[in-house]
Amino acid sequence: MLAKILTLALKGIDGYFVSAEVFISSGLPSYNVVGLPDAAVKEARDRVMAAMRMSGFKVPPKRITVNLAPAEKKKTGTHFDLPIAIGLLSASGNLGTETAEKLKKTVFMGELALDGSIRPVAGILPMLMALRGSSFQAIVPSGNASEAAVSGITCFQADSLKQAIAWLNGSCELVPCGRKPFSAAKDSSLDFADVKGQLFAKRAMEIAAAGFHNILLIGPPGSGKSMLARRFGGLLPPMTESEALETTKLYSVNGLVKPGSLIGSRPFREPHHTISDAALIGGGTNPHPGEVSLAHNGVLFLDEFPEFSRAAIESMREPLESWKVTVSRVRESVAYPARFLLVAAMNPCPCGYLGHPTRECSCTPLQVSRYRSRISGPILDRIDIHVRLAPMRYEDWQAAPNGERTEQIAARVLKAIEIQHKRYGASGASASNAFMSAKDMRRHCKLPQGASSVLEAAMDRLGFSARSLDKIMKVARTIADLAASEEIKKEHIMEAVQYRIMDKSDYGGF
Amino acid sequence: MNADNEILALLKLNAALFFNSDKADALLSHYGCAEEVIKLTAADLFAEGIFTLDAAAKAVKAIRDFNAEEELALAEKNGITILSRTCPNYPRRLSAIYDPPALLYVKGSHDKFDMPAAGIVGTRQPSPYGLRLAAEIAAGLVNNGIAIASGLARGIDSAAHRAAVSAGGITWAALGSGLLKIYPPENRRLASEIIDSGGAIISEYPLQYSARPASFPRRNRIISGLSMAVLVAEGSFKSGSMITARCALEQGREVLALPGQAGNKNAQGPNYLIKNGACLAETADDIIACLPQEVKISIKNRACLISKKKNAIENLSQDAAALYALLSKEENGLNNDEILLRGTMNVPQASAAIFELEASGLICQLAGRYVIK
Repeated sequence: MLAKILTLALKGIDGYFVSAEVFISSGLPSYNVVGLPDAAVKEARDRVMAAMRMSGFKVPPKRITVNLAPAEKKKTGTHFDLPIAIGLLSASGNLGTETAEKLKKTVFMGELALDGSIRPVAGILPMLMALRGSSFQAIVPSGNASEAAVSGITCFQADSLKQAIAWLNGSCELVPCGRKPFSAAKDSSLDFADVKGQLFAKRAMEIAAAGFHNILLIGPPGSGKSMLARRFGGLLPPMTESEALETTKLYSVNGLVKPGSLIGSRPFREPHHTISDAALIGGGTNPHPGEVSLAHNGVLFLDEFPEFSRAAIESMREPLESWKVTVSRVRESVAYPARFLLVAAMNPCPCGYLGHPTRECSCTPLQVSRYRSRISGPILDRIDIHVRLAPMRYEDWQAAPNGERTEQIAARVLKAIEIQHKRYGASGASASNAFMSAKDMRRHCKLPQGASSVLEAAMDRLGFSARSLDKIMKVARTIADLAASEEIKKEHIMEAVQYRIMDKSDYGGF
Repeated sequence: MNADNEILALLKLNAALFFNSDKADALLSHYGCAEEVIKLTAADLFAEGIFTLDAAAKAVKAIRDFNAEEELALAEKNGITILSRTCPNYPRRLSAIYDPPALLYVKGSHDKFDMPAAGIVGTRQPSPYGLRLAAEIAAGLVNNGIAIASGLARGIDSAAHRAAVSAGGITWAALGSGLLKIYPPENRRLASEIIDSGGAIISEYPLQYSARPASFPRRNRIISGLSMAVLVAEGSFKSGSMITARCALEQGREVLALPGQAGNKNAQGPNYLIKNGACLAETADDIIACLPQEVKISIKNRACLISKKKNAIENLSQDAAALYALLSKEENGLNNDEILLRGTMNVPQASAAIFELEASGLICQLAGRYVIK
């Protein structure tokens, strides 16, 4: 008459227990789902009915009530199909009493196809993480097996409803989800050696990667902005397993985890500039992580930065400051982590050719300043490094050396990162110079002897503000770390100044 | 053709024909060298058709009577250089006018005549306003690496020379007398200051030639000929400055005038010039604005050398100095990457060098390109 099947649901990226209660009573045949189901959950009825028939089970022509408890939380997703079907079978007495033990310690998830097979669903990994530390086991779609395996929970993969029922009855064994050892992956098809010249920009990217500084590339079309940005991920250190797990969880919520293991290479997200603010930072009626969260622990590349909508650009303030996005709805508010490294690219002017050695810029000064002002001060403040890319003349292009390979640069970056981890006594991106607190800055960014004249000149002659001096010191700290220097030296500051061009008083001339 | 004999011949020819330098010029270009010209008889000269018989006879007599050997010895003794038209140091701008002097006596530096220069001329009875402005403008010009040409006369001329000298600049005085008969005598001291500060005193007249009224208008063409632009500071309608202005116009030089108070006699000349289209000049920048574009750029480069920036350049680090040298060769400047590709620096070195040059105000960046200020 009554069955209670355990399953899981997601709030943000955290899973919680849901029990699918199925009650069959006499009365006019009907089917009702309660517990705030969304359309996909309501539609489960048709899938479940068909799947049961096709698997050779009978659906009792009675009054069926399905409750997804806790009933006050909104339920979304298709993974309730399997628990509802099992609940129906259990409540209608199709399962033997010996299954009761198994039902008590197993959670079920899976979408049913009409033929009774089980399809993979989104969010398996973060949901399973809720089981950590408990003795529950889980039945997951075989399509989610590799994802489920990394959760560390005992999981079995089921191909069809029939198979799951057979397992419950003890007439067959399910294949456990085998865990592959984690290995960080790197895309080696893109190499910095492919980019000729642009030594300044490459150096700036090395510094950005070493200190986890956000970076803005400014250059005319064809100067290599996108090419450099796409190679940037190669400079970051390989993903650790915990980072990979965090990132995979977010991908799982959006159902983007591909068969295999964890996401082992740092994500590189490159949304188009027509993206809506909700798609960029996350949201929707049923909140989903946005691009900033999908770039978690990786790189978010925004090409044509000023062309993004104002709302989209400004919505980046929160994630750039606190490394997470909070999506608030009347009923609930969820937070998605978003610790990404922003690589933004823009043209020097709307037509793109300002300062080009051979082509003429057709923009008026007003157009140029309007274009630049689309990137507001608060956003610019969160970008530590600005670097100008120059178009190359043919003779320079020909003579330019190919430069270093990604692995050579990455090796230096890794050393600098290790120095930072030691200094801040932590690991991961949050132990980076970019995230230094004011207190850390006082401790680790001491002004070297004779360098106050450099900062004075920067303020008085080049028009830097006190705030940009802070950024300069942070970047100088990273430059010093790359040089394996305990103290920041004068030359480190002088180099750092070159990466704050948008703060300079002559920036108007670009 | 013997160089020594040629210079002696030129001295003779010049002594005879300095008031008729266009004729001397014609004879020289016709006969190829002065040695040939001085061999001519009065009849030969008359036959050329540019002299009356009387004038031809006078010229031949003057050529014969002039003791060139003695003049040459005197010049050597007094450290005076004689520049013929064929000398590479002969002022190129002067050489291009209608009647350039056949030779120039120069005391002082004679290798800088091709640097940008402006003439400042004016009355011998100036007002305090005229003196002050002439001095201010002269100082402003030399601070921008422009030489001042004037006539060493009392009044405005002296004020301009003096201001140029005390600003550490270069100034040239074209005299209306021989270099050993400096007129006015009270300016002898100023003349030696001009020479000491790297300038020069110049004349086309024989060393012992004393000034006379007719010799001043002739030297005015040298002042304007040495200059790219001429400023008339104060002067009446019929003053020598107006002659200089006319010479400047004939030679295609820019003419500027310092405006004066209407009704004031000294204001007649400049105000008349302004009414007729001369540029109004109140500051050195007004004059610089009239100079050709390429001169303005080179002025900026040279300006560094003589003003405060000289100091900054001397104190540059090795990398910054190398970058500065690299940039001074590029009129359109260089961008980040070109600096790395053309030079031998790596990114940190180049960054430090750029910072140093920017902070000391020697370069600026325009649309991503670093250019010499």
